[in-house]
Amino acid sequence: MLVITEAAKEKIQSVMESQGRGQNGLRLGIVGRRMSSFQYSLGLVEPGQDTDDDVVFDAGEFKIYMDAGSVQNLEGVTIDYVENIQGSGFKIDNPNPLWTDPQHMAVQELFDTRINPNLAGHGGFVDLLEVKDDTVYVRLGGGCQGCGMVDVTLKHGIVAMIKEEFPEIDNVVDTTDHASGDNPYYQPGKG
Amino acid sequence: MPRLLLLLPTRTYRAHDFLEAAERLGVDVVVGSERKQALADLVPGKTLALDFYNPKAATQTIVSFAQDYPLDGVLAVDDDTTILGAMAAKALDLPHNSGSSVAATRNKHRMRMLLSQAGLLSPPFSLFDIDDDPVQAAQQVPFPCVVKPLCLSASRGVMRANDPEQFVSAFQRLGTLLQAPDVVERGDPLARQILVEGYIPGVEVALEGLLVKGELTVLAVFDKPDPLDGPYFEETLYITPSRLPEAVQQDMAQCTARAARAIGLKEGPVHAELRVNDYGAWLIEMAARSIGGLCSRTLRFGTGMSLEEVILLQAMGADIGSHTRDRLAAGVMMLPIPHHGILRSVHGRGAAVRVPNIESLEITMPLGQEVIPLPEGAQYLGFLFARAETPERVEAALREAHQQLSFVIETMHGACG
Repeated sequence: MLVITEAAKEKIQSVMESQGRGQNGLRLGIVGRRMSSFQYSLGLVEPGQDTDDDVVFDAGEFKIYMDAGSVQNLEGVTIDYVENIQGSGFKIDNPNPLWTDPQHMAVQELFDTRINPNLAGHGGFVDLLEVKDDTVYVRLGGGCQGCGMVDVTLKHGIVAMIKEEFPEIDNVVDTTDHASGDNPYYQPGKG
Repeated sequence: MPRLLLLLPTRTYRAHDFLEAAERLGVDVVVGSERKQALADLVPGKTLALDFYNPKAATQTIVSFAQDYPLDGVLAVDDDTTILGAMAAKALDLPHNSGSSVAATRNKHRMRMLLSQAGLLSPPFSLFDIDDDPVQAAQQVPFPCVVKPLCLSASRGVMRANDPEQFVSAFQRLGTLLQAPDVVERGDPLARQILVEGYIPGVEVALEGLLVKGELTVLAVFDKPDPLDGPYFEETLYITPSRLPEAVQQDMAQCTARAARAIGLKEGPVHAELRVNDYGAWLIEMAARSIGGLCSRTLRFGTGMSLEEVILLQAMGADIGSHTRDRLAAGVMMLPIPHHGILRSVHGRGAAVRVPNIESLEITMPLGQEVIPLPEGAQYLGFLFARAETPERVEAALREAHQQLSFVIETMHGACG
């Protein structure tokens, strides 16, 4: 179900060896959808860090662990490792659509074409997690996570725009762990 | 739906609580800040960029805005916006404080003069320029004394000196702070001056009130059980209701009301700091805004209204006379900053919030950021909240929960503090 190029395999093995702690393999997950792309998390899995819910892909020299929530959207993914003049890093080609449901697609388009380009000016972004019944679930990140003005961005920006574009939506739920934000755009302070 | 302009500096701790309150009340809030909001261009009429350091120009911007989006109220949330709030409300013919009264709350020397002239208990006080010779200045002040900036808040820059040597050190240290980039960028001429007051011994309390047509309604009186004797004045515990005798609390309320009259404040929230000793109640400072940080979360009124809801209602012209404080005692601990450095991690959060009567814990300082203790520090580490049957239980819970917390702060070499 996954394709790992030789370059990617070599790099992953090299990283695992350099860590030298007997890693089982690599964890791959989808953490968001933004600007027409899935957003991924990649990390090494040490013994004991795998769970019963993981779906495991055997890449030969190592294994790739995927959480159950991500696996459907990782079907057919190709992981490559590229080095060029712009830099180096893993490149993931994903043939899956971001969403198949028209409402999700429409909200995602609002995020990608209007909201996120503006939040980028503050180093922030918002990810669409789900639309369920009359509720949109979102998660903010970058400069928005823990920002002192995030409520203004949310209520006077994101929520207002969603409700204007989608009158059937009554609620927008922010699932962000703002306490973990380590680079908020605006930090509160005493006068 | 009524529309209110909320003047929110981007450095405020209060955005969440005020916007939540507005939502619960069904008030259409426009947020005015000194910087443009990230999505301002996409949602017209919801936010407004204002030059807080040029209130005349900002007032004109607000008046122009109100032609397209009529405003039913203007509310200044933090110190930086109170003068603009008064000017804008006046320009829009809404209830307002005079510009001179609000300006006096932003100038500790002016406030001290007005209180003294009105016959309130006042310590001796003198004004100096940061370029004055502190050795000579030390010959003109009483000891012990307190060295203060005119324009900063929340004990920032405030230091006690017991003798000339300590005075010179405190004076120079405050002079350095007043030339820090975040202070200088305000362009406030008051930042070049230093107020020196005689130290007032006694028990310190905070009073939260609302003024309507010059009449003060006391919303809460907070005890500050940790000693505030100097050399710095880091506030930690605020617990309400006060355990001081009723007569003393009445005295403090009267002192606050007299101070408001002396300063000329007539409308809106006031936050007063007072000391009480054998001579009576002394007003230390008064601000034309509500309590700072996240401390308002200790307060509930009537059937559970927040302080922000009460303030918004008053700003919209509603009657606030019937809002009595919740019967439970409540308190907050502004978490003390152990030392200067980089905050790496916070341990014991789970244990802290499991302490009986603890309501919540908010760490407001992001990991990886520099934490700076007073007198230079300008940010809180976080807040612990408790609610219980008695103030004693609240205090015990806050102290026990604080014991559960530990902060890993990596020491920085060669830095201030």
